[in-house]
Amino acid sequence: MMRAWLGKAWAGHAVLGVFFALLLALFSALSPWFWSFENMVSMGANMAFIGIMAAVGTPLIVAGGLDLSVAAVAGLSGVIVTLMHEGGMGAWAGVAAALVFGMSAGAGNGLLATGLRLNPLIVTLGTMSIITGISLVLTDGLTRPLSADNFNWVGNSRPLGIPFPLILMLALFFILWLVEAFTPFGRHIYAAGGNPDAARLLGVRVKRVQIILYALSGLSGALAGVVLAAMLGAAAPDAAGRHLLTIITAIILGGTSLFGGRGGVWGTLLAVLILGALNNGLTLLNVSSFWQDVIRGIVLLCAVALDQVRTRAAEA
Amino acid sequence: MDALLSATGVWKRFGGVAALRGADFSAPSGEIVGLLGANGAGKSTLVKIISGALAADAGDIRINGRHARWSSPRDAIAAGVRMLPQEISVFPDLSVTENIFAGRFPRRRMPLIDRRAAERQCRAALDELGLDVPPGAPMRRLRASEQRLVEIARAVAGEARVLILDEPTASLTTAESERLFAILAGLRERGAGIVYISHYLDEVFEICRRVQVLRDGENAGAFETAAASQDQVLAAMVGAKRVGALYPPRARKPKLESEPGQAVLEVRGLSAGGEVVDADFSVRAGEIVGVFGLLGSGIAAFGRAVFGALGPRAREFKMPGCAASPRTPQEGLKAGIGLVAAERKREGILPDLSLRENVTLPFLRKYTAGLAVSTRRERESTRRAMAALGIRAPSTEQAAKNLSGGNQQKMCIARWLSGDIQLLVLEEPTRGVDVGARGEIYAKLRALTDGGMAALLVSSDAEEVAGLADRAIALVRGRVAARFEAPVEAAELLRAAAGLADKGAA
Repeated sequence: MMRAWLGKAWAGHAVLGVFFALLLALFSALSPWFWSFENMVSMGANMAFIGIMAAVGTPLIVAGGLDLSVAAVAGLSGVIVTLMHEGGMGAWAGVAAALVFGMSAGAGNGLLATGLRLNPLIVTLGTMSIITGISLVLTDGLTRPLSADNFNWVGNSRPLGIPFPLILMLALFFILWLVEAFTPFGRHIYAAGGNPDAARLLGVRVKRVQIILYALSGLSGALAGVVLAAMLGAAAPDAAGRHLLTIITAIILGGTSLFGGRGGVWGTLLAVLILGALNNGLTLLNVSSFWQDVIRGIVLLCAVALDQVRTRAAEA
Repeated sequence: MDALLSATGVWKRFGGVAALRGADFSAPSGEIVGLLGANGAGKSTLVKIISGALAADAGDIRINGRHARWSSPRDAIAAGVRMLPQEISVFPDLSVTENIFAGRFPRRRMPLIDRRAAERQCRAALDELGLDVPPGAPMRRLRASEQRLVEIARAVAGEARVLILDEPTASLTTAESERLFAILAGLRERGAGIVYISHYLDEVFEICRRVQVLRDGENAGAFETAAASQDQVLAAMVGAKRVGALYPPRARKPKLESEPGQAVLEVRGLSAGGEVVDADFSVRAGEIVGVFGLLGSGIAAFGRAVFGALGPRAREFKMPGCAASPRTPQEGLKAGIGLVAAERKREGILPDLSLRENVTLPFLRKYTAGLAVSTRRERESTRRAMAALGIRAPSTEQAAKNLSGGNQQKMCIARWLSGDIQLLVLEEPTRGVDVGARGEIYAKLRALTDGGMAALLVSSDAEEVAGLADRAIALVRGRVAARFEAPVEAAELLRAAAGLADKGAA
């Protein structure tokens, strides 16, 4: 009974929603500062950078792909913006260059993974290492300040009191939801991941679908890198890389199957909120960031276990 | 005296379908017994039960008169029963010796294996079969025929007394087959009981003294090969005509008579990487053309080569509105061809998507207004398809994986009906489908072709082709061996496919 219920997608969302509510209640009870508009909004802004990448990573994994290089792309994108600004070309030219770079890196991942039929885990692990290395070479491993008046608002402005990065992230989730739920391309994403052989014989261009999503994933990495650099007012070559696991954790916790074919962005959004609340609440309670790593790991394992139970329930 | 191997009254059901209904089989020591039957007759199920890979629902299996009650192939091997499946199954990266002793290496002192003793015994086993391969060579360097013989050596070295061979010559040349037969004869002289499954009647008559025939999971006769003719055996395999009930009557086709040569598709020189060689055929509007062949004859590649899933494969390809062999499934679709793939689970259904999403996928554009897919129109179309094919599901939103095999297959056909399909290619359209759904699928197929569609029925089920096709071709080793006009006889198809004679008119 419980298992059959867990097999339904909306039930997975309900579990996440209840968990999120419990988390909010728990932290509100433990910390007087947690439950305030100001804290909620800054919590969202801090997660926006991860949410942007997790949002696009979700349809990619649904379609049977995987991008481990996305956070490294974010790191190098911040570096590109900063260096071009320093070089006098202006931050916005840097943004354009970063977005072009991100999209090309993603498309490159896609071509390697689909064209040569290499395992995406290995391809993107390789490109992740290359891109991280380039970031370190370009900056000598040092953090570079980035202060451009007409640029930093990307990270710091608050239209209607809501931080711009949060608005960007929510807009991205909304657009991706429209694509995945209502367009032929969205249907092709699920078909390509659910059974690539069958999808191909029904006229779905499986490789093309995947390459487009890899390119978009790279683009989301660049966008996240730009947002992070604007928020921090600096580009740190290693600022993004360590968030990779949080991104993957969010996607899986949100109910997207690593085997492809199942999942969606709403679950990922809920998971991003949960991870953000966890991070914010534990920090307010003065739990060290080392312990936070431990807790995030436990949450990830629980999410994977839950995914297995759900898969079996759905198959039974 | 008891037979070496005897099975009596064996029953086995898969879901609602009975694969075996009280089948009997026996093999005495020192004899090669042929086991024959059309596709789906239950041969594979029976030998899987005898070799411990499946458990029978009822029935008695005895080895040397003793009850055999085993729960895995390991138990059967310990009792001296070995099955060599159709596909060669070896460890390609291990040596010949390691393959022969896999799982039971001779030991020196408990945890250590005795390599030298193993090599010695391996050489002895190979010599016994007259097989000249180095024991240390990795398996993947051997030819298919040599790998097959090493498999036999493995069985012999494991002291197998009952050896079951399922289509052992499918991947062998004639000379290699002759060598295999000589080796089998040697094993027979030394008292082994050998069960030999093959579609090639010539082969079976050459090496077996006795054959037993299964049909629909029941015994359909046993014959001494010295006394019986191949036609008698074929008749037993095909059985009495039960065709009327299952297969719809053929169309009168007055339209066709008045417009002869209304070809929907004309193909010359269809080839697919050695599997299909230079086949010519045509399909006219309103008719079902059967492509019949045994396993390994090339029919697995035939339908998808026409559809474009294997790249451009035809030298000449003529369809109204399409002059070139399609290079991809998209091009096949655009030309107006639909494909119902043989392996439903692997290539047919999208398990996590709903019935609706499965049905509308190939023609999703038709349901799209602006950027968005209209779920309402999808539902309407899916409901129509459900009614047309008799798909039984609680709603259009049911996940495809939760449908029964028959309903899944109907779904795989239904998805082509909403588009402008001129030719529907069906690969093994009723494999693993219960008899009720089969009849419904046949009736719908006939109704569709009566409406002017053309169909290419690629099947290894002779009765199905005979019951449904207006014309048929038989493939043998990738080549068109014979052509038939309705009424097509199942026995004639089997004869042609077994390479017996070039019967049938052009």
